[in-house]
Amino acid sequence: MDFSVLLVDDDERIRQALGLALADEGFAVEEAVSGEDALRRLGTDLFDVVLLDLMLPGVDGLQVCRTLRDQGDLPIIIVTARTDTPDVIAGLEAGADDYVTKPLVASELAARIRALLRRRGGPAQNVSHRIEDLEIWPDEGVVHRGGEEIRLTRTEFRLLAELAAAGGKIVTREQLLHRVWGYDYYGDTRLLHVHIRRLRTKIEHNADDPVFVLTVRGSGYKIGPPR
Amino acid sequence: MTVRRPSLRWRVAAALGLGSFLVTSLLAVATWNLASDYMLRQRLQATTRQAEVNLRLVEAAVRTESDGLTELLTGLTTDPDSTIMLFRSGEVLTSGRQVDPGVVPDDLLSLARSGVPARQRLHADGIPVLVVAQPLTTTRGLYVELFPLVQLDRTFRFLSGLLIAGTVLSGLIGMALGSWASRRALRPLSQLTVAASRIAGGDLKARLPDQADPDLAPLATTFNSTADALEQRVLRDARFAGDVSHELRSPLTTMVNAAAVLRRRQAELPGTAGKALGLLTSEVDRFARMVVDLMEISRADQDGDLDAFEPLDVGGLVHGVAGIRLGEDVEIVVDPPSPLVLGDRRRLDRVVGNLIENAECHAGGAVRLAVLRHEGNVRLEVDDAGPGVPGEMRVQVFERFTRGSRAGSRGTGAGSGLGLALVAEHVRRHDGKVWVEDRPGGGARFVVEIPEAAS
Repeated sequence: MDFSVLLVDDDERIRQALGLALADEGFAVEEAVSGEDALRRLGTDLFDVVLLDLMLPGVDGLQVCRTLRDQGDLPIIIVTARTDTPDVIAGLEAGADDYVTKPLVASELAARIRALLRRRGGPAQNVSHRIEDLEIWPDEGVVHRGGEEIRLTRTEFRLLAELAAAGGKIVTREQLLHRVWGYDYYGDTRLLHVHIRRLRTKIEHNADDPVFVLTVRGSGYKIGPPR
Repeated sequence: MTVRRPSLRWRVAAALGLGSFLVTSLLAVATWNLASDYMLRQRLQATTRQAEVNLRLVEAAVRTESDGLTELLTGLTTDPDSTIMLFRSGEVLTSGRQVDPGVVPDDLLSLARSGVPARQRLHADGIPVLVVAQPLTTTRGLYVELFPLVQLDRTFRFLSGLLIAGTVLSGLIGMALGSWASRRALRPLSQLTVAASRIAGGDLKARLPDQADPDLAPLATTFNSTADALEQRVLRDARFAGDVSHELRSPLTTMVNAAAVLRRRQAELPGTAGKALGLLTSEVDRFARMVVDLMEISRADQDGDLDAFEPLDVGGLVHGVAGIRLGEDVEIVVDPPSPLVLGDRRRLDRVVGNLIENAECHAGGAVRLAVLRHEGNVRLEVDDAGPGVPGEMRVQVFERFTRGSRAGSRGTGAGSGLGLALVAEHVRRHDGKVWVEDRPGGGARFVVEIPEAAS
């Protein structure tokens, strides 16, 4: 059996149709009708991924997203009505790993979920990386800075691991979107920007003057030089 | 041939310059007449008095038949340039500056001989003089004295030079003043032009600053309220289009997913029902695409999220899109080093993708993609080997819902009818241009030009 998905949407027809289509793709789908309902179910059952509509009655999607992120690194994909609204950025800032736009098609969604849940991307990573006082242990999925563990979400960790695996070479935005999120080409760079920013606030001493994750103008990112 | 009318500014400047020139020249002529007349009269009076005194002395000397007449005449010519001539019974006595007596006009002499003192201005041996001729009362003869007018002439020349220079200068100052004043007066108009062209260019937020001047305030107020109304209207229309497609999204999500479930089971529905199902599911997909494109267009009309602009490597972008949309056999040319533009990646992806898709739908697929530098722009060319686009359709193809009736277009599964319109919208947003032309060797060439960014 594949993964279990919690589908949070207040539109019953969407829940039914998407539920059927996702089941066809091999997912076990549970439904929640509101933010409260979703939080209650997440308190009792275990899910692999949450599919979260941002426009919910009562506790809205952003709030649910923040609550879940505070509790752990459960992968969250938000469902938005428009790609251009501040909703997308707000959702990503609130901790979502990825987003899809209505009308979403189950097959594309399935690809997104699988990419998100792939255990680890990239080449064999049984070597650890060290940049100044930052230590990355790809196999264990942990990051230490100055001996203390830093909690990263799965997506943030994979982003960092991809950059570290390139060993100081430039990794283009397209490569990152492909390797971390599984986008073929049409990836939204805002997704990357928000995650890079969030990663920096967690691992850098000063997020405005990064030394670990460096921007290469016009092309992508690279990891800072080891010392 | 049309003669271009000079600008208002120049006309105002010329009118003011000409007016000021005319007024000052009138004043100058009047000044000249009064001053020269006065000075000349003064000089005439002085010389006349002098001549009378001299005449009396000479007459006295002539009467006494004094031998000292020559000395007296010499003594009388105090000015080195003045000349005294005594016409007496056929001989002429001259003293002072030597001048040929012939320069004195005959009618002046005959007038004096008839008993009337006469005077005349003339040039004698290169200098201006005043000739005063008086008859001797005691004996027959004429006393003629030539007073130099060099000093007066110099004064006149200076005065006329001063007046002419003043007139010309005042004309020039008038022109400069006119130019400056009209520019000041027209400044609100140039602000209006800037604001209006910003609005025409799509910036609905452009307004005129408040004017303190009571003559200009109504213009600014009217313009701003017009712009407000326009902005409201455009926003309302865009919001409506956005709301409509937004409301369509939820049912559409249900439909496309239900259609996906059905398509998976199409084999279970044989015959007519299966065929109908095939039609239904493919139309649902097309409908969904149309709504998504419509939404993107209405958004392109609406927002101005320029903060999404970043430096983009066009060559990499084209390679990336082509990599998933095209086969290996399509030629891709990129001018090295690959040029950069400042743009929104998602939109430029759509531009390239839609052009490739357009070639697929209507011309059997793209045969060549090129990224070139051209006069400060980055030029993207998408070539196909299809039937080309006829001249009368070349503007129309970029309009919304223009369906190609071109040969070779696929009957089913064709695009939303918005693909090229979206390309045009997105390119416009990047301050670029898009058009279609003939490809050398047959087919169509879609060309996009976007300003190149400094690398």
